[in-house]
Amino acid sequence: MITIDRVSKTKSRTRILYDVTFEAHPGRVTGFLGPNGAGKTSTLRILLGLDSPQSGTALICGRPYRKLDRPLTTVGALLDGSGAHRARTARAHLRWVAASNGLPDSRADEVLEVVGLTGEARKRAGRFSLGMSRRLGLATALLGDPEVLVLDEPVNGLDPAGIRWMRGFLRDSAAQGRTVLLSSHLMGELAEIVDDVVVIDKGRVVTHGRLADVTGGHRTLEDAFFALTATEAGGPW
Amino acid sequence: MVNLVRAELRKLLGLPTAWVGLVLGTLIAPVIVLLNAPYTRRAIAAGTLTDLSDLGLRDLGVGLIGPMVLGVIVVSSEYTSTGRDAPGARQLTATLAAVPHRLRLLLAKTTALVLVVAAQATVTTAATLTLTQVLHGEHAPVPAPGRVAAAILYWTLTALLAYAITLITRNGIVPLTLLIINSSVVSVSYLLTKVTDLASYLPDIVGAQMFIRGSDFPVEVHPVTAGLVMTAWIVALLAVGAVLFQRRDA
Repeated sequence: MITIDRVSKTKSRTRILYDVTFEAHPGRVTGFLGPNGAGKTSTLRILLGLDSPQSGTALICGRPYRKLDRPLTTVGALLDGSGAHRARTARAHLRWVAASNGLPDSRADEVLEVVGLTGEARKRAGRFSLGMSRRLGLATALLGDPEVLVLDEPVNGLDPAGIRWMRGFLRDSAAQGRTVLLSSHLMGELAEIVDDVVVIDKGRVVTHGRLADVTGGHRTLEDAFFALTATEAGGPW
Repeated sequence: MVNLVRAELRKLLGLPTAWVGLVLGTLIAPVIVLLNAPYTRRAIAAGTLTDLSDLGLRDLGVGLIGPMVLGVIVVSSEYTSTGRDAPGARQLTATLAAVPHRLRLLLAKTTALVLVVAAQATVTTAATLTLTQVLHGEHAPVPAPGRVAAAILYWTLTALLAYAITLITRNGIVPLTLLIINSSVVSVSYLLTKVTDLASYLPDIVGAQMFIRGSDFPVEVHPVTAGLVMTAWIVALLAVGAVLFQRRDA
């Protein structure tokens, strides 16, 4: 269970989040949707205790992330990149992360197998492709077999097979009762994965609810998104 | 806490740069003693080298590049970009996701660094002094245990100095360049002592007086006082670094 309550944030004198409020529930995949720069990553970073909000609270299972003991056993997070120092091998990275949360070394090889990186265990993270980095990041998130997953743009950089795999993985995770929160700017991808949708634009949540309710009278989630954010489809680029 | 220290030790010892610091720092001083042996023997015979009480201990200074590298990279490795695809991504994200309590994290990092550097300093000090005894034993007195311990402490505090500065700058290049230049090419701290006596209390200058007896210090400071002054510097800088680390967005 994730509860974000009236979170506001100002960065370099610019307000980037305005009273962001929403929840993500166990057994459901919640999609956090918005164009680039809308405040998705900023919100997730606050949720994970990396950045501090000016006001508001972000709780995971009723507690702020920074107060979690052995947090990896509660939350698995995937942000930009793999989080592994480029000189480290995939296995060495996973092992120090495991050690920090009192998890056995054997977990490293187990999660490498889950994400299909067993053959790359001894490869240095700096030599990984974008897709492999994302997989390594996901492997790190899975180390503690957490009940909550927080994933920032998880399908970014994945090839079609990887996207298909990720979709199945996220659906399975929710089916097992996990809370899954993922951000994306790819509406098409998201519509096939999520149960609930939170739409953010220019730092404000413009709507949230079940996928069917948010899509409403629109033909697709994408149409609904552009109608809600008043962004010109096919804008100037 | 044991888990956190174990994780930090693995992180540090898993970095190739750390091994450069470890190997270089451990070997430089004994190698210098060895290479300088013929010169030192001649100087002793000619009577130009009269104060022999610092022989061996003085050579430890060149090895300080080791603890400096270790102190810097234990922090800077958290801030280097993890790859071309995600230039903003850094190991720090993974670190704080695993250990969100920042002061506990710093405590674990500090402990890991102290353990590694103290071990390195013990090995290199033992090697350097043993070699000095073997080569010039009849002229050089065995240093008192207190002085040897002080030398190890100086190494450890030097690593912590580099660590604290990097915690503030969040970038390894500037502190490493300044510290290495200051300790090898041109000692700005030492030059400053020519301008003002106050510079004698800069951490690197005053710290050396914990175990070096030589008379080229403009202000003579008792070894215990010297240790306390250097420790005070480190504590103050670490406190600033810790407060910034606690407050800054990652």
